[in-house]
Amino acid sequence: MKKIHVCFTINGEKTELDVRPNCTMLTVIREELHLTGTKVGCGAGECGACTVIVNGKPLNACLVLAPEMDGMEIQTIEGVADHDGNLSPLQQAFIDHAALQCGFCTPGFIMSATALLNENPTPTREEIKHAIAGNLCRCTGYIRIIEAIEDVASRNEGGAN
Amino acid sequence: MKEFEYLQPKTIAEASELRARYGKAAVLFNGGTDVVIQLRENLIAPDYVIDIKKIPGLNAITFSKSDGLTIGACVTAGAIAADENVKAYYPFLADAAESIGSVQVRNRATCVGNIVNASPLCDTGTPLYAMDAVMCLESARGKREVPITEFITFVRKTVLAEDEIVTAVRVPYIEGAKGVFTKVARRKEVDLSTICGTVVKAGGEYRLAFGAVAPTPVRMPQTEALLSGAELTDALIEQAAKLARTEVKPIDDIRASKAYRLDVVEVIVRNSLRELR
Repeated sequence: MKKIHVCFTINGEKTELDVRPNCTMLTVIREELHLTGTKVGCGAGECGACTVIVNGKPLNACLVLAPEMDGMEIQTIEGVADHDGNLSPLQQAFIDHAALQCGFCTPGFIMSATALLNENPTPTREEIKHAIAGNLCRCTGYIRIIEAIEDVASRNEGGAN
Repeated sequence: MKEFEYLQPKTIAEASELRARYGKAAVLFNGGTDVVIQLRENLIAPDYVIDIKKIPGLNAITFSKSDGLTIGACVTAGAIAADENVKAYYPFLADAAESIGSVQVRNRATCVGNIVNASPLCDTGTPLYAMDAVMCLESARGKREVPITEFITFVRKTVLAEDEIVTAVRVPYIEGAKGVFTKVARRKEVDLSTICGTVVKAGGEYRLAFGAVAPTPVRMPQTEALLSGAELTDALIEQAAKLARTEVKPIDDIRASKAYRLDVVEVIVRNSLRELR
């Protein structure tokens, strides 16, 4: 089978790979690049565990074919903290609010919420709920997740970000 | 996922030629939110996947009052829902686009893909049926336009020829048109429509289109004729809601019973007409 040569940027690093067409971006991220923070959940675009940010927008990595990665600018959970390992305000807020239990869905939620706050730094509670509707959490009941995102949003009031 | 060759045509002519050459061994690939799942579950096993996203010019959404709205084949549901002209002149289409899947899915799924899939419950279908949208088809042989009501012929069947691709969907502009899109699903977000419907008021005419109540989305010609030019009294709305039930042929399935769907059609027609009068 003909492999496809792809060039893309992931977490700020330019990367080139030859990929099999019949696998997803999720498989490449986890098994070729060994960035295992992005999780395999339903594989059908319903649970959001594999959410990554591509060209500024959140996507399900399980629904993107590997050759489509060519030219993409990709951010995964590993690229959210800064180079010195300082957590982003959202990551810290998830800890402060205990917005996770088992933690499996957390990278996906952080990516969805990061994309939301990049686009809209001061979302309402309803806007937050709409933005994370594509992420499932079976532990927390969502309340603490919403509160963690609201906490960061409230600190963005007045454009202080 | 079975092995396949991934092809990226750079022109419509090239895409058309690949489609003609490989026929049923190839599948068209756009936003991928349905096709990747079908590939992964081996529901389809093509030898060739033809990704049309590298063809220039398919990513635009344009509007003018003379030409109406033109949605390129690769325009995502998210882009439609956020478009200022769609929100201003076709807000019910924006609502329908925003009702698809999740943010993540809407950033990939396309309106044209939604129509070409030809599912009876396609969320962007009913606003386009109600507006008499036209599908723009192209192949190496030339271009043609097909009304959306004739484009979808049955469950997952369209008139798209084996060498054609859909380049855009064109939605006429109607001065002063107002509409209501309603989606009834088992939960509020990230679900398929159990029933969806769009009711549009254009001048003294009403247009009603419903999804998930027949093998294709349907218009309701008898109900539309009843309402044409008439004043929407409570009695007329009630009569229209009852008549609408007779213009659909829903089935029992995993999402709802036939009886439930008939009741909900009546409710959507009644509520939409009340909102529009």
